[in-house]
Amino acid sequence: MNIVLDNVVKKFKRGKGLRKHYITACDHVSFTIEQGELFGLLGPNGAGKTTLVRCIATLLIPDEGKITIFGKDIIYQSMEARQQIGLLTSGERTLYWKLTGKDNLKFFAALYGLAGKERDKRIDYLMELLDLKDVESERVEKYSSGMKQKISLARALLHDPKILLLDEPTLGLDPQFSRFIRGFIKDELVGKGGKTVLLTTHYMDEADELCERIAFINKGKIVNIKSPAEYKDEIPHTEVLELRCQGNVNEEKLRTALSSIKSVEKVSLINKENDLALKVIASRVESILSDVIELVRGEAKILAIDVKEPTLEDVFIYLTGTSLKEDTREEQPDALE
Amino acid sequence: MYKKINHYLRAIWAENIKEWKIELTYKADFVRGMIDPLVYVLPYLLYGIALVGGRTSESLEKLTGTGDLITFVTLGYIFIGFLNMALWAMGFSLRKEQYWGTLESVFAAPVPRWVYALGMAAHSTMHQGLMISLQLIVISIVFKLSVNMGGIVPSLGVVGVMLIALYGLGMMIASLTLIFKQGWLISEALSSLIMIITPIAYPLAVLPVFMQKAAMALPTTYGILTVRHFLIGEKMGFSVGTSFLRLAILCVLWVVFGLIVFAFIDKRTRRSGTLAHY
Repeated sequence: MNIVLDNVVKKFKRGKGLRKHYITACDHVSFTIEQGELFGLLGPNGAGKTTLVRCIATLLIPDEGKITIFGKDIIYQSMEARQQIGLLTSGERTLYWKLTGKDNLKFFAALYGLAGKERDKRIDYLMELLDLKDVESERVEKYSSGMKQKISLARALLHDPKILLLDEPTLGLDPQFSRFIRGFIKDELVGKGGKTVLLTTHYMDEADELCERIAFINKGKIVNIKSPAEYKDEIPHTEVLELRCQGNVNEEKLRTALSSIKSVEKVSLINKENDLALKVIASRVESILSDVIELVRGEAKILAIDVKEPTLEDVFIYLTGTSLKEDTREEQPDALE
Repeated sequence: MYKKINHYLRAIWAENIKEWKIELTYKADFVRGMIDPLVYVLPYLLYGIALVGGRTSESLEKLTGTGDLITFVTLGYIFIGFLNMALWAMGFSLRKEQYWGTLESVFAAPVPRWVYALGMAAHSTMHQGLMISLQLIVISIVFKLSVNMGGIVPSLGVVGVMLIALYGLGMMIASLTLIFKQGWLISEALSSLIMIITPIAYPLAVLPVFMQKAAMALPTTYGILTVRHFLIGEKMGFSVGTSFLRLAILCVLWVVFGLIVFAFIDKRTRRSGTLAHY
């Protein structure tokens, strides 16, 4: 087993004095990732995905539990563990913007122990592979978001690590770059390279397309670990009713009212500036359609109605009652003193 | 073992080169940084000349054994540069990485934190060395500094030991800036305190006794006194051997203290999750 997490707990302090309390970002998380596996961590923003990745990458020390990389403890044998890991963190600002793409890679290559011809050969290879050769001598500040993400990926691959931790690798990218990154992960990293990949995402189609097994994580807890197909088979209904509405609604009242309709199993409701996205999971949508419309029409203007097959996101809603699009963020530690 | 040492040395050098490349993208700021020390030292020198009516002071000669005010102050002033290197350049290097968002990427690499700190130290030392050289060349030409040439090599040895002690201070400040948002206050306070009790532009003897005692705990005091002793014959209250010994002890103490604080705060930020916070 490449990565083993055993009962990992990570809490962050919030507030000061009498208001001091702790937020549990990872709550007794346990799972293992096998060699060559593409393992997904799927959950909404703030579910604890990044915290877990940071713990595995030795950037955070868990409060309880143990993490090992090829049997090396990430706290006591952190150097050996880091040598096996390539880390791609989310966000654009993880590179030196004033340096060229190539100079960034040269700097990080030295940190990972590469030098001379071996380093130059590896950088050239990655630049070619990621289609960055034409811009290698330009400063990173001139790169587009997609190009920055590509160079970050090249950095993570510099020392040819056996394990890759990819934290939201397509976040904020346009569809073309997202497609490239996804294809690269699946075909190059796992397919040809045989790498073990831990991918965090809140895009269900990304997890569905790429991952062999997916851990659903919500509020720091692992809800379930299965393959995408197994998840979809498990959901005991076949239809999802989606409504897009506009209006200032009382969310709690509407949710309670919809949940009380017979045969409705889960209701997800996301309200952003009076733009309401509603999902109702039920065994037979046709039988509840009129009741739902009646209830919603009293509260908001209905713009669109659709009936769909359940996706991974619907399974997530079914299991957690939370949509992947929701922001459940409360894991961030306090600001500096 | 050899492979590991090579790896770490390359990482230290890469850190230094990276800092130079970034620094040189801000050309105007770089030029300003080179000229600044000259601009700051000139008022000290001109003020001194105006007060004593020339470059030689009888009072200074009585207290220190040398009356050449210009050389005395210029040599002392060089050490402000070394102090600034530790407190500001090295001390704020991690904070700068936090601001850029690159700190986590760097700290995820398989090199110990002290390797990174030494990389910062290498760059800061070279940068400061360049500034001081320029400063010395210009002042030598304008004011015709006169020093004992035979004292240059031992002086460099003293400065080398003192720098190691200052690296300890720099590492401590660098780590403190990771947990205190207004870390510059610590640098500011330490800078003022050390500059007052270090005999930069005046002899140690003019300080009150308690301040003289406090000055004896600072590597900069031994650095300045011994360098001026070698170059212009300043009298010290102790022998050169004693000065080296005390400097070496302070060097060990400051480096060990700096490393302990650095390790402690690194662990603290990895527990609290504030490593990447700016």
